[in-house]
Amino acid sequence: MVRRVTIKKKEWFTDDIFGLEIYLPDIDPQPGQFFQVRVSTTYDPFLNRPISVASYKGGTMLMIIRVLGRGTKILSQKEAGEDLRVLGPFGKGLRVKKKKSLLIAGGIGVAPLLFLAQKMHGKRIEFDFVYGAKREKDLIKKSHILQIAKHAIFVTEQDRGKMTVLGALDMLDVESYDIAYACGPKTMLIELQKLNLPIPVYAFCEDFLGCGCGLCLGCAIMYKGEYKRICEDGPVFELKGISFDE
Amino acid sequence: MMKLFGITFKNRVFIASGVFGFGLKYKKVSNRVGAIFTKGITLEPRKGNAPPRVFETASGLINWVGLENPGVEKFCKDILPKMKKLRTRIFVNVAGSEVIDYERIVERIGGQVDGFELNISCPNVKKGGVAFGQDPKIAASVVARARTKTKLPLIVKLTPNFCDPLRIAKVCIGAGADGISLINTLYGMVYDIERKKPLITGGLSGPAIKPFALYCVNRLRGLGVPIIGMGGIMTGQDAYEFLLAGASAVAIGSAILRDPYAPLQIIKELKKYPPPPSSPSERGRIKEGEKKEYK
Repeated sequence: MVRRVTIKKKEWFTDDIFGLEIYLPDIDPQPGQFFQVRVSTTYDPFLNRPISVASYKGGTMLMIIRVLGRGTKILSQKEAGEDLRVLGPFGKGLRVKKKKSLLIAGGIGVAPLLFLAQKMHGKRIEFDFVYGAKREKDLIKKSHILQIAKHAIFVTEQDRGKMTVLGALDMLDVESYDIAYACGPKTMLIELQKLNLPIPVYAFCEDFLGCGCGLCLGCAIMYKGEYKRICEDGPVFELKGISFDE
Repeated sequence: MMKLFGITFKNRVFIASGVFGFGLKYKKVSNRVGAIFTKGITLEPRKGNAPPRVFETASGLINWVGLENPGVEKFCKDILPKMKKLRTRIFVNVAGSEVIDYERIVERIGGQVDGFELNISCPNVKKGGVAFGQDPKIAASVVARARTKTKLPLIVKLTPNFCDPLRIAKVCIGAGADGISLINTLYGMVYDIERKKPLITGGLSGPAIKPFALYCVNRLRGLGVPIIGMGGIMTGQDAYEFLLAGASAVAIGSAILRDPYAPLQIIKELKKYPPPPSSPSERGRIKEGEKKEYK
């Protein structure tokens, strides 16, 4: 059911990344889950935009969005007090495991991992956070991450000889972790897959979605030899099972 | 309540094939629409096309799903028993890559559903699909051969892509079709200007195609069989326009991608309008209690 909610707060984190807070008290979203956000009450743009949960506390949900195209541009023009129509939560939620974890975020891929980190922190699960972005100012919520992660490494392509988030993994003893969670651009996930880390890695995937709720079969991903729906079977998949070229 | 093909329907709002799976996820919606048209069913399982499969366009979208489905056997075994518990009419959308596929699927499913929709208009498959619906001889053959296998309502889903649906409709009715549904998606394409290659080629749907869909429905009115009109219906008013253009019922497609509950809103809104002028076709070709031999 489409819910009509009021934007409680809007915040710009950078010149193109912003957050919208809405109040949805009757849900219990899990990391990896997302909402389909209506962009326009007209039919152009036509489809809703899938936006992951970046934080949920006391009924208040934060969505962190980067302006990438027409849809997110229109969403960025919404202000506190305005209405927003959302559907969800959709997607399989991740069951947080009591294992020493490594969170790997690239760019706006940090958004769903912030929620995972929040859940882990709440359950007193130890985790480290590696977070990379193009520019220093694109690294958002740094102080928050420093507060809740045991260790945090921030890299940008501007410093340390253009270090990428995957380059930063060399600084870590990856084998000391039980599990890793990654979210970022497809190119980052492909490179991460090639590293063949000695621990299970779970990837938060994204795509253009049609319905977002498993009906239209529009968001296919080749996983362990068959097409799965990112929206309904995912969006979190074990990285080694994904074929990015099919 | 209304009657088409000699059977009763809760209302005139149906769910189009391909946007609602098998109606098992949002049962509240399934149980309140007049009918559900299943995702296209083929003889063998199909894994569907490689992504990207959907891309937004102005007031609509292009899809390139490619009839991903479990095949008729798995459908009959695992899905149909669950669908039968729904309180709505079930029409199976039948798709084939060979002419013989249609009759075999219809025969395999038999009398377990309320009717069939022969899909000779899918633009997203290499073999069959839209090519069958553009050729009057093949279209007639698909219908005639499926006709020998069932007495249930047989609807033919037509394409307006590079052919005149009126011409195809006439031969299909001559071959024994009980009704026509249209339009399937239009050919469409989006270019990737960086790679200088098409980003997606597939079927265009949504409000962008509504005026053309209405034109097609209006063109086919008066053929003496019920028409199920579809193409970009988002509101009760849109649905009513199709009814005025000659449709006996409408099917909702892309609107569901924005909101799975859209059909309920459309049903509610449609109630505000007076009943559409009755068409003689609504008595249907198969009258209740009448037994017909199709030999």
